[in-house]
Amino acid sequence: MKNSKAWIIWLIAMMALILSNRNPIYLLILLLGLLILGSKLASKKGQKSWLSQNLRFLGTMFVLSGIINTLFTHRGNSVIFTLPDTWILIGGKITLESLVYGVINGLVIGSLYIVFNIFNLALTVKQITGLIPKIFQPIAITISIALTFFPSVQQRAREIKEAQLIRGNQMKRIVDWLPLLAPLLITSLENAFSLSESMTSRGYYSRTKSLSGLHITLPFIIATFLVFSGWILRLYNYPSMISYVLYFISSSIIILSILLANRKIKITHYHEEDWGTYDIVLSPVFLGIILVWAALQTSGALPSVSYSPYPDLRLPGIQFSGIIICASSLLPVMFTDK
Amino acid sequence: MNFQKTRSFLIDLLVFLLGLMSLLAPFLFHGARFPGFSQSAFPIMVSLIILLCLTIIIFEAQSSLMDNKMIALLGVLIAINAGLRFLENAIPGPAGFSPIFFLIILVGYCFNGRVGFLMGAMTMLVSALITGGVGPWLPGQMITAGWLGQSSSALHRLVTDLGWKDKRREILILAGFSAVWGILYGFIMNLWFWPFLAASPGLGWSQSASLAENFQGYLAYYLATSVVWDVTRAIGNLIIFTFMARPVIKILNRFILRFTFEYQEVIQR
Repeated sequence: MKNSKAWIIWLIAMMALILSNRNPIYLLILLLGLLILGSKLASKKGQKSWLSQNLRFLGTMFVLSGIINTLFTHRGNSVIFTLPDTWILIGGKITLESLVYGVINGLVIGSLYIVFNIFNLALTVKQITGLIPKIFQPIAITISIALTFFPSVQQRAREIKEAQLIRGNQMKRIVDWLPLLAPLLITSLENAFSLSESMTSRGYYSRTKSLSGLHITLPFIIATFLVFSGWILRLYNYPSMISYVLYFISSSIIILSILLANRKIKITHYHEEDWGTYDIVLSPVFLGIILVWAALQTSGALPSVSYSPYPDLRLPGIQFSGIIICASSLLPVMFTDK
Repeated sequence: MNFQKTRSFLIDLLVFLLGLMSLLAPFLFHGARFPGFSQSAFPIMVSLIILLCLTIIIFEAQSSLMDNKMIALLGVLIAINAGLRFLENAIPGPAGFSPIFFLIILVGYCFNGRVGFLMGAMTMLVSALITGGVGPWLPGQMITAGWLGQSSSALHRLVTDLGWKDKRREILILAGFSAVWGILYGFIMNLWFWPFLAASPGLGWSQSASLAENFQGYLAYYLATSVVWDVTRAIGNLIIFTFMARPVIKILNRFILRFTFEYQEVIQR
């Protein structure tokens, strides 16, 4: 998979699977698939320590999340030991159920982190900035300038620091950094001025390409309000269908308003992204996974996802459909271009 | 106040309220039942709403960039600030200290709220792109840093009205402001994840608890997980502003005039 839009669909599918899942077995299957995928992508980029670094992070996450939840949540019936009630916040019974709940939290957070880590690995900075809609063209240009200037700013900072060290400035206190920041700022702003002159002389003039605010602002405010309302209704346990309808209307408004506004902006694109065979095959597969997962959740056909260790610890239930869907995190491994 | 300014103010206010209400949902929507799925999806729903709010403000704020000079200026300032983030370990400061707040506050203070907002939000985005730190935490970081830059322009108005410009009090108030934001940043950033991570009595959110009890729970969670980090950041901000703000304000003010003039079309008769 190479196309940034295909990876976005994969990202949404993985987030849906992780965030609506409390079953540790499903989460472990999903995480295993993600780790295999991440290792493969990292080895392609020559990042040999990716797996060990992330396993360390995951281990820390499980331990921290487990300890925090165990110390502060005093629910569950399998008491390991009891801390005096006089101890503020942590006083009370320390239970096995809270420990398991905390570790499941760690699994969710860790998986979420790995998903975004893989997303960052799979796409180049150029591909990510390419996802910015045309209507945000001045912002996209600003980001491109920042990314382009970043290495030269770093280089200049190093040069100024070396010059200061030669002059005897030890750069040990915060105040000592002013002789670095001031020249860095002045020379960079001078460069910015030359850059703007250069942009003008080459015919770049963003004002002509701008849109009137109401084309986007009003639909987006309505869409945000609809998402917010759908979410609040869901929090109060109103039928989920109402929320889903509101989310659907909201996303339709957003997509339509961006598409309509984008058509009014003429920008030349160099190196348009291609849709490879695997992108074309996998995108509908992951879209299908999102829809099937949502259908299984709303119909209550997959009760094993909502596992809770409280009040008594028990083994989580397993369903074949749950295992198959969670194992889909492995799919891009099998369909990655050589 | 003309129509354009009123419109901008109303949009900013509406979006601010929507963003704030989603962050403060656990306190505001008492009695919400947070069924299993909603609780798991809480951080993502908050991030999604904040992302939409960000889109609106950024779209509105980019009207400040309708000029090549401002685009180039902001791009370069963001590059410097993202670079400062990498110097975090090099600049001697307490753990948790980050020099990136320095330029965000001063740009908002010297230019205007919209430019300050963009400076904050875009610094977070660009440094996330450079470090591979794009994730669900990013919208929260962007909007909080944006609010930091935007609120700095209000401080500028206050300092001007009080007649404290170019006086020692100006630096003192800026240092105090940066210290408060050092803590506030962490306090706001924890909100989007708190009900998910700590949905339990004690230091967590509870559906049956009152607003005061839930706030107490959040405070306990904040004290247990973040306060040391945030206080050191506040101290770092205080030091960096006390010693470095004056010369940097002078530099930025020197460039404001050069970057804000407008080309006029010549009408030939």
